[in-house]
Amino acid sequence: MTEKQDLPPLLARQVGKATLPDGSLDAQKLLGLVSSVYEANERDRRRTDHANELMAQELEDALTAIELQNMRFKAALDNMTQGVCLFDKAARMAVCNRRFQEIYGLEDADCKSGNNLMALLLASNALKQADEMERRLLMNEHLELDQGASAALEQEWPDGRHITIHRNRIPDGGFLDTIADVTENRKASAQIAHLARHDALTDLPNRLLLRERMQEVVRNALRDERCAIMCLDLDRFKMVNDTLGHPVGDALLVAVSERITSLVRSNDVVARLGGDEFAIIQQHVRKQSEPARLARRIIAELSKPYVIEGHKVQIGTSIGIEIVNVSDLNPDEALRNADLALYEAKAQGRGTYCVYSSEMHDSATKRRELETDLRDALAQGQFVVHYQPQLDIRENTINGFEALVRWEHPVRGTVSPVDFIPVCEEMGLIDELGKFVMQRACTDAKQWPEHISIAVNLSPLQFRSGNLPDIVKGAIALSGIPANRLELEITESVMLEDVASVLEQLRAIKRLGCQVSLDDFGTGYSSLSYIRHFPFDRIKIDQSFVKDLGDNPDSLAIIRAVAGLCGSLGIKSTAEGVETLDQLDILTREHCDSAQGYLFSKPVPLEQVHALIYPDDPPKQAKPADKAA
Amino acid sequence: MWVKQLDATQGVEGLKSLPGTPDLIFIFGETEGLKNSTLPGELAKSFPDSIQLGCSTGTIIDHVKLSDEGLSIIAVGFEHTRIALHVHPLPDIAHSHETGAELGKLLAAPDLAGSFILSEGLGVNGSALVQGLQSILGNDAVISGGLAGDGARFEQTLVTVNGKPVSKVTAALGFYGDAISITHGSAGGWDEFGPKRRVTKSEGSVLFELDGKPALDLYESYLGEEAADLPASGLLYPLKIWNESNPQDQFVRTILAVDRDAKSITLAGDIPDGWNARLMRGSFDHLVDGASEAAQHAHDDLNAKGMQAELCLFVSCVGRRLLMGQSTEDEVEAVADIIGHGTPIIGYYSYGEIAPHNVSKVCGLHNQTVTLTLFAEAA
Repeated sequence: MTEKQDLPPLLARQVGKATLPDGSLDAQKLLGLVSSVYEANERDRRRTDHANELMAQELEDALTAIELQNMRFKAALDNMTQGVCLFDKAARMAVCNRRFQEIYGLEDADCKSGNNLMALLLASNALKQADEMERRLLMNEHLELDQGASAALEQEWPDGRHITIHRNRIPDGGFLDTIADVTENRKASAQIAHLARHDALTDLPNRLLLRERMQEVVRNALRDERCAIMCLDLDRFKMVNDTLGHPVGDALLVAVSERITSLVRSNDVVARLGGDEFAIIQQHVRKQSEPARLARRIIAELSKPYVIEGHKVQIGTSIGIEIVNVSDLNPDEALRNADLALYEAKAQGRGTYCVYSSEMHDSATKRRELETDLRDALAQGQFVVHYQPQLDIRENTINGFEALVRWEHPVRGTVSPVDFIPVCEEMGLIDELGKFVMQRACTDAKQWPEHISIAVNLSPLQFRSGNLPDIVKGAIALSGIPANRLELEITESVMLEDVASVLEQLRAIKRLGCQVSLDDFGTGYSSLSYIRHFPFDRIKIDQSFVKDLGDNPDSLAIIRAVAGLCGSLGIKSTAEGVETLDQLDILTREHCDSAQGYLFSKPVPLEQVHALIYPDDPPKQAKPADKAA
Repeated sequence: MWVKQLDATQGVEGLKSLPGTPDLIFIFGETEGLKNSTLPGELAKSFPDSIQLGCSTGTIIDHVKLSDEGLSIIAVGFEHTRIALHVHPLPDIAHSHETGAELGKLLAAPDLAGSFILSEGLGVNGSALVQGLQSILGNDAVISGGLAGDGARFEQTLVTVNGKPVSKVTAALGFYGDAISITHGSAGGWDEFGPKRRVTKSEGSVLFELDGKPALDLYESYLGEEAADLPASGLLYPLKIWNESNPQDQFVRTILAVDRDAKSITLAGDIPDGWNARLMRGSFDHLVDGASEAAQHAHDDLNAKGMQAELCLFVSCVGRRLLMGQSTEDEVEAVADIIGHGTPIIGYYSYGEIAPHNVSKVCGLHNQTVTLTLFAEAA
């Protein structure tokens, strides 16, 4: 038998354990020990086989999962709107998506992983469209894109596309380029920028761009160079819009902008400021007469008829001009001055131009102050109503008063209606002022005898709101006087407004029981058709005819004709501005019904009215001087 | 310092050959044997002033021999080293950290050179126990030891203290003074296999899911018909775990229990959520290489202090024993080959090993390793 020490250690240990105390070997025990080692080894082999099998299955499942994930990644990558290309740390392409290929115009064969960026750019069909120099430039820009944490680049490619390239470092030392075609974004941005600075209808520069252009002109100014800033306003445009509709109005504005543009030089700027307002920067003005000449040409050109959608349209324009040294040009100031000149041109009767002068500024300042004072006047009770008597010529008694508003300003003193009524009309204060006068007059008249009427003047503008009859009704109700004592005076100019609406309101006022008279007859159109269209109760012959009586035979003829006409139609006639007894004699002879003027009394405050009505009533006797005035 | 291995089969008769009264007696025994033997009590009676410490196991190590029955006893006498034994109850797993901390307080002294821990092996979170000790003694404290074992049975573990076997306690032995040198080595030698997995659900030392699937299912499929022997058969496939952000510190975890209803497994230490995990398996050669590596490390450290090992406490994992069977003695032989066949070896197969990491020197709980503690005392 082999010696114990020559045995393998395990077997030697087994032999040791199977040796009995007497030194003999327990073969059964040894076999058991050996056999259990075989079993253990067999068990371990089975375990290893089983584990290997499971591990292989697990690895296969993992591979399948990775393949599925790769497929999903590829689907996600290929459906991105941006192109992406991943490079390893040696700058070799690892993967790119379909969009990357499309943007660069790369064939599948060009996009093998392992290619470097230079090879990809050289193969790009999109970049091949550029000439050699441009292509090199575009490629180098991309190749030299900063290798820091992230970098970005935007290029315009030869086919007109705008392409952005973003580079991001990734943790393994490689980088990811993200490529986006931003052509549409850039177009949209440009479009938005254009819209922000241009008028959508005419595509002319708007106020913002006009201002920027003016600032540009200032920046590029040459020594002693001058320019003109013009403001234009179309005459009668509103009427076109109101009668023919906005589409025609819009087409007209486009036609106007084309005509203006055709008349200016290429470096001049035409802008639409809004509505029917335009502005022009005329550059390089050498002579003072140049802007005026341009203005005349524009007025002539814009006044020529237009044919729009079959309608023949005629309008005009007024132009305000400011001429300045370019180095002194202040956009706001220049536009304001041109606007003041425009205002002046319109005041001069439209269809003309006016060059700004400093007086315009002064008068504008005064006007602004007047407006401010007027706004305060109503609130502070500075308006007062005076009354001028009307005399029944046949009876030689007062049969009525005309209410006349006065403005008593603490500094300006008493301001004439001629100076403030037009301003109130323009400011939109006339409705409020008119209402105040009417209520005051009715309330005051309540204290007078029943047979005395009260006449109140109406501005044409008071008809615009359409609720004049309600205001009249309110004044009557508030004062409590019978409606037939209230006489409302209108001038012919009222008929220049919306005739239908005016007539409707006048009839409503008549239905209330009020009298309606036609004031200043003979000064305007003196169309007899007005008299035919509306049953006036009274016609007031303008004072200019009365003043000329005795000197001008035509005036007598006119007074005779009007008085005769009134007599025939059953309308009362009143002569205004009667200052002498001779004039009164003539009017008496011509059967004029009543008279009004300084011969009897100037307009007086309420407290003096009593004395006029009751000359014999001692406590309220008016002073002789007052009467004589 | 003197060390004398006793032949337990001779009972108290063997004591007659001792060179003096021992300061310390280590005693390890198969669970039932330890419970029923009268020898520990007789030893305590014979040496009332000696400290006696040991624990239960499935296999004892008596020098280079292994045995699944009987006791392994060694007596030690110190010349210059003071020792102290502290025992603290460990009522349940939740008290692991607290018990460690309490023992840490009892051990703490400026001249503490090292400590050796033996603990209840089933109702314990070994990681928490060690952290409790470190919370008092510091991360660089020299701690080694193990959790008591019960072979493949996983039914009951005991710590024997001064002749009395007790359950649900942790005992800590402190070595004090400059004369004593204590070094450690710990290594497994297990091979990783299969895919890297991720802990997707866990609580403390209970692992519920790996990669979103029940952890027990994975073990059952790998064990096949041996799954019936869980938790013991689970020791064939330890789990390596590591934190992705700190891949240097790797731990090996082994199974202590399974819950078939919750499909969870309870490991001998913490298994944090989100950590990586990979199955391991052993080949005899590599496991024996692991034992050699542990011995070499402990031996070199002691040599560096100019000392030779006078005693080797050998704590090895029950999983190694289950896998290697009769070949298990090869790992003890391999250790003796390095530290010298003259150095007495005593130890047991445990449910968890405690020792400093070979590299970081920070103490922790290990599984499936050979963990050695070498002692030498300066003359």
